[in-house]
Amino acid sequence: MQVVQSNVTNKFTGSVINSMASDTQHTDICLWLDAVATSRDKAAFTQLFHFFAPKILHISQSKLFDKSLANEVVQETMTNVWKKAHLFNSTKGAPTTWVFTIMRNVTFDILRKLQSNKEDNLSEDIWPMIEDQAIEDEPFSDHIEQKNILAVIDKLPKNQQEVIQAYYFMEMSQEQLAQHLDLPLGTVKSRLRLALSKLKEHLGEKE
Amino acid sequence: MINHHPKLNLLIQHVNGELPASISAGIKIHSDMCKQCSEQIAELTKHEAKLSFSQTNVDDAEFGFDVDALINDITQTQPEPEVIPDNKPVAVTFRGVTYKLPNVMKHMELGKPAQIGKLSRSRILLDEGHIHSSLLRIEAGGGIPEHTHNGYEITLLLEGNFKDDMGEYVPGDFIVLDGNHQHQPVSEQGCLCYTVVSDSLHFTQGINKLLNPIGSFIY
Ligand SMILES: [Zn+2]
Repeated sequence: MQVVQSNVTNKFTGSVINSMASDTQHTDICLWLDAVATSRDKAAFTQLFHFFAPKILHISQSKLFDKSLANEVVQETMTNVWKKAHLFNSTKGAPTTWVFTIMRNVTFDILRKLQSNKEDNLSEDIWPMIEDQAIEDEPFSDHIEQKNILAVIDKLPKNQQEVIQAYYFMEMSQEQLAQHLDLPLGTVKSRLRLALSKLKEHLGEKE
Repeated sequence: MINHHPKLNLLIQHVNGELPASISAGIKIHSDMCKQCSEQIAELTKHEAKLSFSQTNVDDAEFGFDVDALINDITQTQPEPEVIPDNKPVAVTFRGVTYKLPNVMKHMELGKPAQIGKLSRSRILLDEGHIHSSLLRIEAGGGIPEHTHNGYEITLLLEGNFKDDMGEYVPGDFIVLDGNHQHQPVSEQGCLCYTVVSDSLHFTQGINKLLNPIGSFIY
């Protein structure tokens, strides 16, 4: 895993720095998606649209060299974001990964229809949204089994569960977390440390 | 143990949806059997997603539609019901032997099985021009005469085993060969492979020129 990470980082060093900027949006995106999922919130969807649609248009145009197809990708992707928002699980991966997956799948099916005249929508079989979410993002996979983790997290005190989930599964930074939970940074840090050592203890891990 | 994995380059293109369906399906079959590659794919997807959505100078986006009207339309549609993926197994039968096929093939149409000697083949009707995909079965004791490739040949071993001068292969192995390789696979116990071939095969031994029909059979 480490190896891949560094290869990729070398390949795209310039852009990695930019990607830091998107981290600050991360919490907002999660909240908007959640609002769409739970209360079909139009205002939240509008926010998601303004964040993602221009970027999707830009990516699609450079990929498809065709304006109307690129617009089709935007419409189709954003429609799916609305329709599937409740299927997004923030404990299983980042929201940008989820939207990227939808965009990639939509683009793949459109291209395949063009090139092979097939409307078999194979993307859903090659990159299943539900199943892929399940294998995706195992932050502890290096040393702790994912299947135990969730059970163990349930045993932690509520305030520790909260920080662990947000920090490891939603990939918030400690600063974002402090802001999100309206707690001093120091408190977040000590809760995280505590939660982590409890986790290790429960899982029989040695330091 | 699986020894042959898709190269990083291929995985990056896969994650970005830039490969033909046949090759991406092959990678999916492999990664379902290979934890290492499925983790790499998850990691790469995360990374590519971050890159994609961290662009900043996109304010000048000119949509070819009325944004407010589209948002109105979309937000009036119904959420999609949570469908349980239909994983009823698909299967193929060659000369009375039935093989369960990977899930990724469930919407792929198969051609009629055809036979030459100990080889059976069913085309996978993906309609990708010069890229041909097939299910290829070698009966126990069968093999393919020594050949090279003008293009590339991707073989994903689904069941059984086979070997060539480079070694033995096990289910899940993702084997890529190009014009620089010659090989002569044989299967002692028989096997079923998923193959993607970009050009017809060329037999390298004199007498085997008689086998040209096999070349187009396998392609
Ligand atoms: Zn692998």
